[in-house]
Amino acid sequence: MRRFLTLYKIEQKLFFRSPDVFVFNLCMPVVVLLLIGFIAGDQAAGGEDITYIQSAFASLTAVGICCSAFMSIPIVMVDYRDKKILKRLYCSPASPVRLLAADTLCSVVMSAISAVLVAAAAVMVFGYRMEGDFLYFMGAWLLTLISMFSIGLVAAALCRTTKSLNVATSILYFPMLFFSGATIPYELFPKGLQRVADVMPLGVGIDLMKAASIGADMKGSLPNIIILAVIAAVCSTVAVKTFRWE
Amino acid sequence: MSESIISVSNISKSFGGRKVVDDLSLSVAQGEVFGLLGHNGAGKSTTIEMILGINKPDTGSAYILGKDAASARKEIFEKVGVQLQSSSYQASIKVGEVCEEFASLYQNPADYHHLLEQFGLLPLIKSPVMKLSGGERQKLSVVLALIGSPEIVFLDELTTGLDVSARREVWKTLKALKAEGMTLFLTTHYMEEAENLCDCICLIKNGRKVTEGTVREVVDASPYDNLEDAYLWYMGEEVI
Repeated sequence: MRRFLTLYKIEQKLFFRSPDVFVFNLCMPVVVLLLIGFIAGDQAAGGEDITYIQSAFASLTAVGICCSAFMSIPIVMVDYRDKKILKRLYCSPASPVRLLAADTLCSVVMSAISAVLVAAAAVMVFGYRMEGDFLYFMGAWLLTLISMFSIGLVAAALCRTTKSLNVATSILYFPMLFFSGATIPYELFPKGLQRVADVMPLGVGIDLMKAASIGADMKGSLPNIIILAVIAAVCSTVAVKTFRWE
Repeated sequence: MSESIISVSNISKSFGGRKVVDDLSLSVAQGEVFGLLGHNGAGKSTTIEMILGINKPDTGSAYILGKDAASARKEIFEKVGVQLQSSSYQASIKVGEVCEEFASLYQNPADYHHLLEQFGLLPLIKSPVMKLSGGERQKLSVVLALIGSPEIVFLDELTTGLDVSARREVWKTLKALKAEGMTLFLTTHYMEEAENLCDCICLIKNGRKVTEGTVREVVDASPYDNLEDAYLWYMGEEVI
């Protein structure tokens, strides 16, 4: 365990050195929250009983998950495979899995830091208070994270080259970021685009997190919970079965 | 000769219908420096990969320390250090960090500060690996191969792309390892390197063994008096 933590500690340092992670994962969600908060914080969003700041809180705490799952995880894994770092690790008593696990943990931590920064800004700048149960919200956030990470792992497993990965991450990352309600408030979308967000995995996760954060009856969210759990189960199985470290 | 600690019997491997290694057998004794020589694409790296269990031979078997590396991976790689051809490192990682990472992989790692000092890399411990010169980077890959205090070290084209002085420096360190009784398995394109370091060499062409023996034996069995000419003769090429 101590040896794993050493590996994790160094990989985490490398994450903090990456400018992309810093900008997209840590800064961007806070900036978007501040913008939405100052422009329309207290207003009711789209006639539903949720304000823009409430909506932004739930969705922007998911942006870190989106960046980690669809950028950091697949990019790091394919890069390490390309550079033969995984192959080199195969030739050691530890397996490449240990490095992949350390990097996945780094991505979890980055997502969490991103969410904490968004929460801190919401509370300190806009006096945000969560109406729902904090533990439910945490559960929803964690389920969303696991589900999205499993999709990212599939991308990492299936993409053999950096080129195909760039295409895959663009297809996953940007639509999820903009059309799932993660950055641009879902409530501002026209009806058609809302249907699109409803079927996006990240949109499902955000919907669940929103429901938990405003204290809605969680029974209504059962389909969302099932969808996320199924995605997680199917995708992690596919990822494990198809992953090649070389 | 003492007992062989690497023994390869009749291994073959094809990729996409092309035979890369063809019925190759060899054995390496403890404390020996063994050189596998051949042109680019002769099957040197594939042979190493089969011995290390990265690739499975289509036929034949390869044992290292009496075991099949693929199935006894954990145990074998506590005792076997490896430098792979053209491997690289994480983008922003520093020398000290990559050493710490590798040390974390082993049960009883050697003190990497000591190894870095031995290879003259200690002043660079805080430098990014990307900023190292070619020679420094190759020396670092030897340090990483040694972190687990191995009994056998594999070096795949360690000195390719190095300038003359860097190559000499790497030789010096390899000779020191040899003096300590380490078994070395290396591939190289430089005949001078084989003459300087190897107790035993094996020449392969298109995945097949052409000849083997000590440098002296290999040269004496050819019409020439130096390894480079002899090598070209064995490879069936015109010696100018």
